[in-house]
Amino acid sequence: MSDSTLSGGLGVSTAADWFSLLKPRVMSLVVFTGAIGLIVAPTHINPVLAFTAILCIALAAGASGAINMWYDADIDAVMHRTASRPIPAGRITANDALGYGIVLSAISVLLMAMATNLLAAALLALSIFYYVFIYTMWLKRSTPQNIVIGGAAGAFPPVIGWAAATGHVSLLPVLLFTIVFFWTPPHFWSLSLFASGDYERAGVPMLPVIKGPRHTRLNVMVYSVLLLPIALSPYLFGLCGLFYGATALVLSVVFCYYCWRVLTDQQDPQGHSLTNNAPARAAFKYSILYLFILFGACAVDRFI
Amino acid sequence: MPEKMPRTELRESSWTPEERAEFNRRRRGRNLLLLAALAGFSVLVYAIAIVKLHEYGQMW
Repeated sequence: MSDSTLSGGLGVSTAADWFSLLKPRVMSLVVFTGAIGLIVAPTHINPVLAFTAILCIALAAGASGAINMWYDADIDAVMHRTASRPIPAGRITANDALGYGIVLSAISVLLMAMATNLLAAALLALSIFYYVFIYTMWLKRSTPQNIVIGGAAGAFPPVIGWAAATGHVSLLPVLLFTIVFFWTPPHFWSLSLFASGDYERAGVPMLPVIKGPRHTRLNVMVYSVLLLPIALSPYLFGLCGLFYGATALVLSVVFCYYCWRVLTDQQDPQGHSLTNNAPARAAFKYSILYLFILFGACAVDRFI
Repeated sequence: MPEKMPRTELRESSWTPEERAEFNRRRRGRNLLLLAALAGFSVLVYAIAIVKLHEYGQMW
């Protein structure tokens, strides 16, 4: 039965709708990087507490996603990519999503404090605050640098994972934070190159909308080059071994190549792609693989 | 005092049997999810308490 045959409101939502409010795809990357922060920490943590810490990171990310969907319901409704989300589709009311997000945020922070330590809980609360207030409510609609500064929100999990295990923060988690921070612009701008029509319709000042695709391609390339030494830095500082160093070098060089293809994509005089943004799509897909393998190598290196 | 309007999903007098069955199916799914979440949360808090008391001798 289609949703349109039942009237709107809480009564027509399914369990899957409530789950999708948590942005499970984004959550999987956050959980993975958080788990890596916890694994590479030079200390033992009880598996039950480790599981709880990762669950809390996932819950906090999901809760932030739900609050984001509440705030961005107007934008989501006019973008093809997001129009079928539960709030714009009318299956869940915006206020219900907000309540859901707030309750899950509170549970995740309190549970983290109970299971691990106050530093990890405070960092978790800070990451929620940053994503909701700094990125969603302030930056996203006000500057084309929204995802550069806002990218810090997605970079917190490895630091939180490390803090949950050790009770403090040292150089390696800060470097992992920096890697995710510099990885976000080429990742997100590759996506925005082939979804800029959506952002333009919604009035979101993404870089391709404000500065045009040519400027965006250049920025994708610049950030991928900046990312190369940053990705290598855990090895250069002696915090990770040769396995990680070699993996980071190969992955980063390949990423630069993908971004070079984005830069040199066949374009019209305005910089719009004549290849349906095939290089940008490929760079976007590779960027996800890049982060998974890079962080995976960091964890494997710990046990070599 | 005016009567409070029932929530949209509760104004179901015009529903067909199929719509009512679909509504019940969705509500059952949500309730089962909530039950699983509450049960999981209870078990987790219990497990955390046991581990912390066993390993550190205190909860906080």
